[in-house]
Amino acid sequence: MSVARTPVDGSTSYSVAADLPLRAGIGLRAQHHSDLLRERPAVGWIEAHSENYFAAGGVQRRYLEQLRAIYPLSLHGVGLSLGSIDPLSQTHLQQLQHLVRQFAPMLLSEHLSWSSVDGRFTNDLLPLPYTEEALRHMAARVSHVQESLGRQILIENVSSYLQFPHSTLSEWEFLAELAHESGCGILLDVNNVYVNSQNHGFDPKTYLLSLPRAAVKEMHLAGHIARQVGNRQMLIDTHNQHVCEAVWDLYGFAVRLFGRVPTLIEWDADIPPLGVLVAEAQEADLRAEFNHVVAA
Amino acid sequence: MSSLRDLQRQFVEALFDESPDGRAGIEIYRNNLHEGFFKALALEFPVIQRLVGEDYFRQLARSFLHAHPSRAGDLHAIGAPFPDYLRGRFAGTQYAYLPDVAELEWAYEQASIAADAELFDVRSLACVRPDSYGELRFNLHPACYRVRSAYPILRIWQVNQPDADTDLAVDLSMGPDHIVTRRTERGVELVRVQHGDYRLLECFARNETLGEALSTLQRITPAFDLGAALRRLIALGMITNQGALP
Repeated sequence: MSVARTPVDGSTSYSVAADLPLRAGIGLRAQHHSDLLRERPAVGWIEAHSENYFAAGGVQRRYLEQLRAIYPLSLHGVGLSLGSIDPLSQTHLQQLQHLVRQFAPMLLSEHLSWSSVDGRFTNDLLPLPYTEEALRHMAARVSHVQESLGRQILIENVSSYLQFPHSTLSEWEFLAELAHESGCGILLDVNNVYVNSQNHGFDPKTYLLSLPRAAVKEMHLAGHIARQVGNRQMLIDTHNQHVCEAVWDLYGFAVRLFGRVPTLIEWDADIPPLGVLVAEAQEADLRAEFNHVVAA
Repeated sequence: MSSLRDLQRQFVEALFDESPDGRAGIEIYRNNLHEGFFKALALEFPVIQRLVGEDYFRQLARSFLHAHPSRAGDLHAIGAPFPDYLRGRFAGTQYAYLPDVAELEWAYEQASIAADAELFDVRSLACVRPDSYGELRFNLHPACYRVRSAYPILRIWQVNQPDADTDLAVDLSMGPDHIVTRRTERGVELVRVQHGDYRLLECFARNETLGEALSTLQRITPAFDLGAALRRLIALGMITNQGALP
């Protein structure tokens, strides 16, 4: 595994754990806690939403401790509101710090998004305008979080349903620059790239080809739906479906480009039985193996 | 002022605005906001949703969102003002029990995420001189939340569980109820306690010494048996070991 590049300020560099699992992982949902412990399916790793385990104690947190002993763990934040112009929540950051200290996750990630302003939260992953101002702001925030936690974080591209006329950069230029400036890794959500390419009309392969290859350290796969909104057909990132064929194809392209990096199946709405997720993860393994061989 | 700040303010303003917006993207994000908030609130207050029905609960969630929007990146905190919000809407009506049931559900939620703590070990009392019993302070387990109501809220909660017999009726005059949360290996339990035991827990929550608690209790219920009440509360796991002894 490569070591993350030194951030431009040269202050700190962050290395990545040596042996990341090759097999695909699954997103952890409370509904599957006891099934996972009992059945111990052969998935490579699990990823938990950090905020779901901010609790001081109790049954859910104990489940995570037990699962951590069985599977490599990734912690994935949805609430830090990194792109917001509000001050970073110190409470949130401290809770994350506690969690990271206790669970020592192999990967730690957040989003290229914001969710609040003036203290009012939408608890959604809202897109940023892709401007120099937003880039400087986001890079400074990511650097601050990495320094506070003493490790690299990965930043995930989000799905979006509108574009800002203010934007002067493309989303992929913004993400590549962010990784360059802050030294963060990239969590490439292949489904989100596809959803945005359809909603905003660009070639998803251009997106992938523009990313710094060594920075991509994790991939997400999920399902989406198409919905008629007004007079437009939009793709909505719902995480309630199987991965569609077009996204599998794009995943194959990504594996040929970036190699095999830890890949996760996200399915967190209309949550199916555990077996369905495990089968989807096996499908990802098959696709990755095949495309890896093709590339080699 | 930065343009990023302007853009974020306008965006969030547009999402919280209820008047129609022609932009497809805004409609999708508004829907995300409403649905996300509704689902999170429904997870915290499933009994309230069952009592008022999904459609009305959705309306309640929508108006509650505007009165008390989320203030944190962790959605789990949104429910804190909900019981009082319901009190403002339903006090003095035939649905006046709803806020109390919501309070019980919030206590259940809080108990499920409270810190773990060691239970009080009665043997530690052996080293206390009898003449200093009055100086003892007992600390409540972090998962011990208390809710009291003029209504039979535990019964209401029980008959509205997913696996409950739907033919069960509740007689609203069967109150009052004094309910305490406790945590076991399997999760949270709601326990009905006697009025005196409940008041004793309140004394401990106010950090009163055993002597102070006893005089408070004797004013309320002259026949109060402190020893028996203590044994019951310790057996229920409501007391922790920390900082109890003088």
